[in-house]
Amino acid sequence: MIENLIDGPLWYLSLAVFSLGVLWQLAAILFASRKPDLSVARGSAGSSAIKTVFSRFLPHREMRARIGIQYIAGYLFHLGLFALLFFAAPHVLFLEENLLGFGWTPMPHWAFIVSAQAAFLGLIILWLRRLMNPATRLISTRDDHIAALLTFVVMLTGCLALLEEFTALRLLHRFTVELWLIYFPFSTLMHAFTFVPSRAFTGAWFGRRGVDA
Amino acid sequence: MARMKFYCDAERCIECNACVTACKNEHEIPWGVNRRRVVTIKDGEAGERSLSVACMHCSDAPCATVCPVDCFYTTGDGIVLHDKDICIGCGYCFYACPFGAPQFPEEAAFASRGKMDKCTFCAGGPEEDHSSDETRKYGRNRLSEGKLPLCAEMCSTKALLSGDADVISDIYRKRVINRGASAFNWGVSFDNAKIKG
Amino acid sequence: MKIQTLLLLLCMMLPQFSQADGPPKKQTYPEGLLSLNPGGELWSDIRQRGDSVLDGTSQVKGVDSGILINASGVEWANFRVNELTTYSSIALAAVFVLIFLFFLIRGKVGIEGGLSGRMVKRFTDYERIVHWTLAVVFLFLAITGLILLLGRPLLIPLFGKEVFSLLASASKESHNLVGPLFLVSLLMMLFSFVRRNIYEKGDLTWLLKGGGFIGDGHVSGGFFNMGEKTWYWIVILIGLVVSVTGLILVMPIFGQGRIIMEIVHVIHVICALALIVVSIGHMYMGSVGTEGTLEGMKTGYVDINWADAHHDRWGKECHEKDLIISAEEYDKLVGTSSVNEADGSKTT
Repeated sequence: MIENLIDGPLWYLSLAVFSLGVLWQLAAILFASRKPDLSVARGSAGSSAIKTVFSRFLPHREMRARIGIQYIAGYLFHLGLFALLFFAAPHVLFLEENLLGFGWTPMPHWAFIVSAQAAFLGLIILWLRRLMNPATRLISTRDDHIAALLTFVVMLTGCLALLEEFTALRLLHRFTVELWLIYFPFSTLMHAFTFVPSRAFTGAWFGRRGVDA
Repeated sequence: MARMKFYCDAERCIECNACVTACKNEHEIPWGVNRRRVVTIKDGEAGERSLSVACMHCSDAPCATVCPVDCFYTTGDGIVLHDKDICIGCGYCFYACPFGAPQFPEEAAFASRGKMDKCTFCAGGPEEDHSSDETRKYGRNRLSEGKLPLCAEMCSTKALLSGDADVISDIYRKRVINRGASAFNWGVSFDNAKIKG
Repeated sequence: MKIQTLLLLLCMMLPQFSQADGPPKKQTYPEGLLSLNPGGELWSDIRQRGDSVLDGTSQVKGVDSGILINASGVEWANFRVNELTTYSSIALAAVFVLIFLFFLIRGKVGIEGGLSGRMVKRFTDYERIVHWTLAVVFLFLAITGLILLLGRPLLIPLFGKEVFSLLASASKESHNLVGPLFLVSLLMMLFSFVRRNIYEKGDLTWLLKGGGFIGDGHVSGGFFNMGEKTWYWIVILIGLVVSVTGLILVMPIFGQGRIIMEIVHVIHVICALALIVVSIGHMYMGSVGTEGTLEGMKTGYVDINWADAHHDRWGKECHEKDLIISAEEYDKLVGTSSVNEADGSKTT
């Protein structure tokens, strides 16, 4: 009963909410009206946009000493999550069978586990930093915490289901993934899609005005 | 009720490994899993002996004692079986078993070992007899067809015997008697067994 | 009893029912005989009764596949099921009872003169992140580990085998995955706190006075007192043992045999239990047990009166270096909601 719901309608609903929501959000950003920029262009918007997309992968020079742990944890979490999301054998198989119809070579099992460990450590440290640092604690909204919690729960249930033998554990993981997908378009989780256009926009804006961003 | 046992006669085992092969073939056991193995001790030396060993279906099995999820049970025939729906693949039974009977499909860093597999005395598992689930998880169920384990049935020298403990020990006792007075001077002919001087 | 049954069973494998515990090794035999009792010798070798472990050969390649009988497995299984589960349950129950009794007798350890509201910085953000990372990972591992250790006697009667099997599988998989993170956070803990945890003069006095719990009054202490330092070294040293043994158990790829695994498992469990038991005391002392302590790990600041009471030498240092901040400044730094209003009124 619950199995049919989670594997069937709820999965399609969450997929629909996720894809339509993401498209709608991106369209809203794309078609948002902007004020005409009246300033005199002092630099190239295009090259600055591209430069900013990449330059923001590294911390600003002045910040480097102070936010080391945040950067390391950030990369651990995001790279680990990306690797295990798209290159773990059970995920590749799932995508092939349920969504795409084609698959690709997955990571070996040990690499899957190591990336999961990196993601766990990263997320725990990042979340703790959010709570421990007074500044980040102040600017954190409820949305940030829900997003972190949901992602953590998805990862945890995935970790619990690692043996891939118990249906109940698989369903638990899948259910939390569906919740995560439904929550995704309406939250800060959207940064997975918006981080590139956001950086590019800032870069272009500052580039035109000749600000070294 | 019968009490099922395996006996292996070290005087007869010729290390042909047919029992191992027969078992793998009968139950379609994957690579890396061997429910039965033949161990040779003092290989190439005087006193070399071989013994075929698998789950000995202990009356008080240490695997069942140590299993953290209590997945083992003993059938009315004295066969120790386990429920793969309960097993979590922790490997404790492998550490506890004196004979190294429990087998795991995978043993790699961080790898889930997968569910334990071991000799079932060709008696399947807790599922319904001859169901596809039973065959998939535990292999053939010969016992319910009135047949004994294939390894012993096809042993060419009849070193490996299986069946009711009483019957087996009778057969065995006869063998020992026929070997003459060498029961306590095993492997030596009667004349030489006499201690001189 | 169990061993005897097994022994009997094993005897049946062999051509005669030898009762010999192994023949004398350096006996000269009569002419023409290799041994007086070849069957007995074979049996003795198989049972690993000799000095060295007899390793046979087998066409089935695998760890320990050449060993016919590993008798230590039964001992290990019985030790785990009888001694380990029993004594660990007793230890866990005892520590809770002790803490409750301690709470009844001592109550919450307060500070003479109460809290002043003036604060002093004790831990940086990084140090608190390290502490809580280790705490989260440790708690998770402790709970999943205890489920696996005590689940069969305690939880199967409650949930039944099917449900407990789910729980145990989840515990085992996550315990194995999260385990190595304990080592990582332990190393972070080692490097960030080691300098202040080296024993120094005055620590012995603290110990002799029982940490202030014998008799009245607080005992002199530096940034960390003797008790905290000892807890730190317990965490680091026993934690390292638990981590290394855990890694040996989770990576059966270096050909470690069953005997090694059994010994390593016992060490892992005993050390982990020691950590759990002491950590419960630590959690109590850090939160309910003493007034104003949790503040240090929550916000990074502690009350100056707390510092003077528990760590007088460090407190003195804070007074001398003028590191004390007012309650208002503390509110602003820690970022409670009142700051927003205060800031808002300033800017508008």
